[in-house]
Amino acid sequence: MDDIILRAENICKSFGITKAVKNVSMSFRRGEIRGLIGENGSGKSTFCSMLCGIHTVDSGRFILDGEELKINSLVEANRKGISIIVQEMGTLPGLTVAENIFLGNEDRFIKCGIKNTAAMNQEADRLLEKYGFRHIRGNSMIDNYTFEDRKLVEIVRATYFDPKILVIDETTTALSQNGREELYKIMKRFREEGRTVIFISHDLSEVIEYTDTISVLRDGELIDTVDSDKVNEDDLKRLMVGRELKGRYYRTDYGEPVSDDVVLSVEGLTVPGEFEDVSFKLHKGEILGIGGLSDCGMHELGKAIFGASENRRDTVALADGTRINSICDAIKHNIAYTSKDRDNESVILNETIRNNICLPSLDKLAERGILRHKKLDRFAGKYADMIHVKMTGINQFVSSLSGGNKQKVVLARWLGRDFDIIVLDSPTRGIDVKVKADIYTLMYELKKKGKSIILISEEIQELMGMSDRILIMKDGIINGEILRSPDLSEEDFIAKMV
Amino acid sequence: MTLSEKIQQLKTHKVYGRYYGVGLLVMLAFLFWAFFKILTPDNFGSWEALSYYLQYSIIYSVGACGVYFIVTMGLFDFSIGANVVLSSIVGVILSKTFGYPGLIIGCVITGIIIGILNGFIYVKLKIPSMIVTVGLMLIYESLAYFVAKGEKQSLASDLRGLGVAPGNIIVSAIMFVLAYLILKYTKMGTYAHAIGSNENMAKNMGVNINKYKVLGFVTQHFFVGVMAILAVSYGTSMTAVTEMSSMARNFTPLMGCFFGVAFRKYCSPIVAIVIGEFIISIIFNGFVALGAPTTIQNLITGAALLIIVALTLRSVKGTVVK
Amino acid sequence: MLSQTSLEHNEQKNEKGSVRNLLDRIHINAVLPMVGFIVILLVFAFLTDMRIVQPKSINLILSQVYVLMIAASGVFMVMTMGGLDFSQGSILGLSSIVISYLSFYNIILAIIAGIAVGAIIGAINGFFHVKFRIPSFIVTICTMFLFRGLNAYLTTNSPVAAHVSVTSYNVTWLKMLLTILVLLIIYLLFNYTRLGMVLKAIGAGETAAKYSGVRTDLTKFLVFTAAGAITGFAAFLNVIKVGSITATAGNQLETQILISLVLGGMPITGGSKVRFYNIIVGSLIFCILNNGLVMLALDTAMQQLIKGIIFVLVVALTIDRESIQVVK
Repeated sequence: MDDIILRAENICKSFGITKAVKNVSMSFRRGEIRGLIGENGSGKSTFCSMLCGIHTVDSGRFILDGEELKINSLVEANRKGISIIVQEMGTLPGLTVAENIFLGNEDRFIKCGIKNTAAMNQEADRLLEKYGFRHIRGNSMIDNYTFEDRKLVEIVRATYFDPKILVIDETTTALSQNGREELYKIMKRFREEGRTVIFISHDLSEVIEYTDTISVLRDGELIDTVDSDKVNEDDLKRLMVGRELKGRYYRTDYGEPVSDDVVLSVEGLTVPGEFEDVSFKLHKGEILGIGGLSDCGMHELGKAIFGASENRRDTVALADGTRINSICDAIKHNIAYTSKDRDNESVILNETIRNNICLPSLDKLAERGILRHKKLDRFAGKYADMIHVKMTGINQFVSSLSGGNKQKVVLARWLGRDFDIIVLDSPTRGIDVKVKADIYTLMYELKKKGKSIILISEEIQELMGMSDRILIMKDGIINGEILRSPDLSEEDFIAKMV
Repeated sequence: MTLSEKIQQLKTHKVYGRYYGVGLLVMLAFLFWAFFKILTPDNFGSWEALSYYLQYSIIYSVGACGVYFIVTMGLFDFSIGANVVLSSIVGVILSKTFGYPGLIIGCVITGIIIGILNGFIYVKLKIPSMIVTVGLMLIYESLAYFVAKGEKQSLASDLRGLGVAPGNIIVSAIMFVLAYLILKYTKMGTYAHAIGSNENMAKNMGVNINKYKVLGFVTQHFFVGVMAILAVSYGTSMTAVTEMSSMARNFTPLMGCFFGVAFRKYCSPIVAIVIGEFIISIIFNGFVALGAPTTIQNLITGAALLIIVALTLRSVKGTVVK
Repeated sequence: MLSQTSLEHNEQKNEKGSVRNLLDRIHINAVLPMVGFIVILLVFAFLTDMRIVQPKSINLILSQVYVLMIAASGVFMVMTMGGLDFSQGSILGLSSIVISYLSFYNIILAIIAGIAVGAIIGAINGFFHVKFRIPSFIVTICTMFLFRGLNAYLTTNSPVAAHVSVTSYNVTWLKMLLTILVLLIIYLLFNYTRLGMVLKAIGAGETAAKYSGVRTDLTKFLVFTAAGAITGFAAFLNVIKVGSITATAGNQLETQILISLVLGGMPITGGSKVRFYNIIVGSLIFCILNNGLVMLALDTAMQQLIKGIIFVLVVALTIDRESIQVVK
């Protein structure tokens, strides 16, 4: 039996004039966990989507188990033994857990057009039991479960038929620590059973720890495949970006004092079910980090500070006592917010870059109520250029931009509005290294100008590198405070987070 | 315990929780009945009358069961009323030669053909269902006019068996059971909800969207075809109309369908539809019994439906409602 | 990973070749409704031996267009936000009844009352939609029913007749002036103030709009109210034309508006690709079609059949499929 299960030969794919994947050849062994990393636009997502039948191959071929792979859809890929778990939600509300697991494959439960629902539920329960997810029942509506549990159902759906190859596409960012553990368990089981896992993630330390080998893509080409235990993060970053990045990534200053002027005061802030009794003060020119596990409540805290929570209790107030109780209050008093859910909350995908940038500033741009389009064009152009958005023009639709550039549009719109305080929630999530560096540089410049930043992030390195002070949340309360220092280590954080 | 906590306890009760939805609907029906009974005890609400109200409502319930499939998928079909007109006219004309088989086959086959046409045109042209069915409604209305040669089509008096008990009850019951079975025990049921929930994702998961949308239209118009049989048997004749007047027939089935959608979490939508249409029928007839002019009925229906939907449709806070 | 649909979209856009790119650049979808308008005009001019472009015929077409265009401009704003309003016909009916009734006292008072009635119904629509989070098409279907019943009730015994002097206002220049005035105001507000951008933002991405400081609930409520008020004003032009209001007054106005806007190229889900001329071009196409078919002396059923087929075809050709990712 040949050790190589999958061979990719000279795979090429273009979208119009953009060459997404250029002549990539790779091979994968049975029982291997391969990490696949690269910046946005490096081609790793496109490569995997071709493997899974979501996109067609322009030229080149995949050879699975000695046979050429000819598939046109995800369902066909599943039938050949290839499966994928995606980053966003991959289950359908309004259906039961069992229906979700078997969607598209009900035929084995169907006789003469009639579906044996009881048998389907039973089989679903059996699988859930086998995976150790006993708290999930097959005949319940999936709506009754949390996002995390739904991901677990999705994992069952993607793996119950024992696929030969499993692609995990940036799924871990959406999971809590528990969820990630489950996923790592499955990856290890696959390895033991001689199956192959392709693991895509932006979290380089996670990739190094849980994979056997790592392939690095850049600009559509395969740069190298390395052994995971022979590299460190800086090596990977260098391969991904092609140049030395260390040192100029995060802030390099230490020991600079932060002003005593309080710009924002939060007292006893509570959102039932999310977080409780949070109090802190934000100073002028300070970068205040807030860290924790993904379900510790910090994301909801960010929304609450911006006035976007439904049933918030107690206060968020400016230095002069003005209460911030709604999004309109917040914006009026120069507070800005970028959301973790970029596509839904930070940008309007089906609108132009120009309209997106101008939207929060309309009241300032209007002269006695009248808007002049040339003025709007100039305004948008100015801020888009200031932050180097890679676009074909301000009338391009945001939906066609990459993740990093979308985030730049988000920042451009707030720069246009000129804030004093900005809440950044996961600002570099899913963004490639180059743009990340740009954003960190911007943050430092803003700090120097006296703007105050609240940085909410799940990336400990980022918090350590950028913040003056970090609050750690756990299960809805503030569990610790750490000051900026070059001697910090991840262990200091994890102790308080978990 | 606050009221909402008490209700929550009821909903999750081990034995009774399953019947929360049905219980609520039955209670509503009883409340409305009691309301009118108190106001006009002699004109309204005797057992006989109730059976009459029920028979009046199940005509629409049959149609509503079909409409449920389409509405669940997130589609909308303006041509339901036109279907009723066209199908019943074809049915009546055929019945003149072939009796009952002519009536039944005429209505049902016409309904199925309309469903196939709607489905294919929608899928091939990729126009939103709301828009394309407005155009199709115009077309079917005019076709009905041509087929009827502009004359009123009356059903022979010895062929009206399906307009009264037990004929109408038997036919309706068969249709309700059929709808229930389709929803629970076929792929059509699952996929209708899947498409309505997130069409793109369902497609990725292997559901053949276009095929099931066409099937959805066929199913809907099949049920509406049967509704046409019941409607024309009850009303004894049908006239072709133009200028989109058939739209008026769209809305009563639609209202029953809303009940189905609103109560989907608590009980089978079929049950909710049947009881919901019954409630609407009680309200209608209640006002007639009170001596209100027939014109006021629409007013009451619209208001009642608005209030019922406002109270039962619990959209999650924070989601976008268009 | 970019969501599959947006990548696919890019793929489709780029793979259609250079002809498509050229067409995109001259905004084919923007131009198509206007082309459709000219085509329909030419076709009917030919078929009716130029009768359709005689002054009398043009006047007749125009007389039908005023009410439609004014009411459509209000619905245009609702649809830009992604909402729907099926209650327009009932609003027109009720406002017309109120205006007719009060025309015996004071015509200005009557007009103001008509607008107020429309605004109240619009406010009811907006209230239930915003406060109870019910989809707008359900709310407006209910209010359509409700007020249609009320109108039928008020005209049970006889149509409500307006004061005789009312028809003296029925002169072309006045109607044209009022229509142009309304359209101009809405055009200026939509394109040169925040209104247009805010409505498009709500239509294209309501949550993101909210996070940008747009007061979405208040805006939605006000727009529904405004749509009602505008139709209330259109009722005045309706009253001066017909003189008395029957039970079926205004029936199907909502569908006529929908058809007109769609013929004019407006995307059904609103958002950023709406254009103000959708209202004007669409209403004109609709009325020319209507009258052209009458002029050809076809019976009503045949007219309707042709209208239906043309409608489906025109929509198939002009609809902007790119901004609708999922066709519902």
